Amino acid sequence: MDVIARVGELLKRGETFCLVTVVVSANPDIPAGGKTIVLTDGSMEGGTGSAQLDSKVRALALKALEEKKRGTVEIEDGVRAFFDVLSGEAKLLVCGAGHIAIPLADFARKVGFRVTVLDDRSDFAHPSRFPGCEVIAEDFIVALRDMPFSPSTYVVVITRGHEHDAECLAEVLRKETAYVGLIGSRRRVQFVLEMLGREGIPQERLEEVFAPIGLPIGAESPEEIALSIVAELVTIRRKDHAQGRALRAAAGGSR
Amino acid sequence: MTDQEIFQKCAELRDRDIPFCLATIAEAVGSTPREIGAKMIICADGSMHGSVGGGCGENQVRSAALRCILTTKKPEFLEIDLTDDLGTRGGDVCGGKMWIFVEPL
Repeated sequence: MDVIARVGELLKRGETFCLVTVVVSANPDIPAGGKTIVLTDGSMEGGTGSAQLDSKVRALALKALEEKKRGTVEIEDGVRAFFDVLSGEAKLLVCGAGHIAIPLADFARKVGFRVTVLDDRSDFAHPSRFPGCEVIAEDFIVALRDMPFSPSTYVVVITRGHEHDAECLAEVLRKETAYVGLIGSRRRVQFVLEMLGREGIPQERLEEVFAPIGLPIGAESPEEIALSIVAELVTIRRKDHAQGRALRAAAGGSR
Repeated sequence: MTDQEIFQKCAELRDRDIPFCLATIAEAVGSTPREIGAKMIICADGSMHGSVGGGCGENQVRSAALRCILTTKKPEFLEIDLTDDLGTRGGDVCGGKMWIFVEPL
């Protein structure tokens, strides 16, 4: 197996998988450096050469994927393997290129998101405002319809008005996403979500929207609000939705 | 650097026939400068991409990588001790220990 090419390909496709590497070995049949890829569906590429050991490696890899936990395990006497959990670069789509979008895109890029900013106003969605980001100046619905989404796509909806928020969400919630967050006062987000419910977006999907957006750190300025949103994105990427919800609940409110 | 950027860099170095090693933090206890899974590429000329912890332990990793590239061609599993109390011996003071796998790819 050409590991570099295969890993690169899986990451580019936005897949999450476990790369198992033998790091210490007293068994000459399983040399250090040997690699096995285990995908989330349990399929394996590479392998140790022993069916029995492979099934153990598969189980450990699936556990690592489930828990998003990397580390080493002794897979047989004198043989230690490192279970690495790799994910394609998380993509952040920011709908709305206003004043919060600038620090948001900047911080998100710094913590490793590939950022796309979308707005229908070309003076706001301008590359000079968002260095290092993909910037799209286009009608929201038109742009979102053709945009590729994956389980590594994070979406933050911060347009200038609730009509645009609603139209963005109506498109985004039909797609596969890692996270969807909506900015606004409690009243405004409630209004938008109820409207989408009436338009036929399933209730379970609406409940997945983080609204109002961001971890409760007492944010006030655009930069602070951006920080609270990025903190939430990192929580979801490193942990899961449950942890994101728990942190909000613990502080009893948003931002 | 993200994992994706690290593997892109590996592919690029291989295409250009530049020998290199990949170093990955495989295990860590206590306080360490970077998390398990953090990666760094060390090239034959000593240049590095990514990071396994800033100054902390990187010299040891670099030496192991160059040893591997230039002579042994074999991977190494390094234990890096960052528990030098006050750094009085010029050591690292992050407080923990980490194990780094250095391999030629």
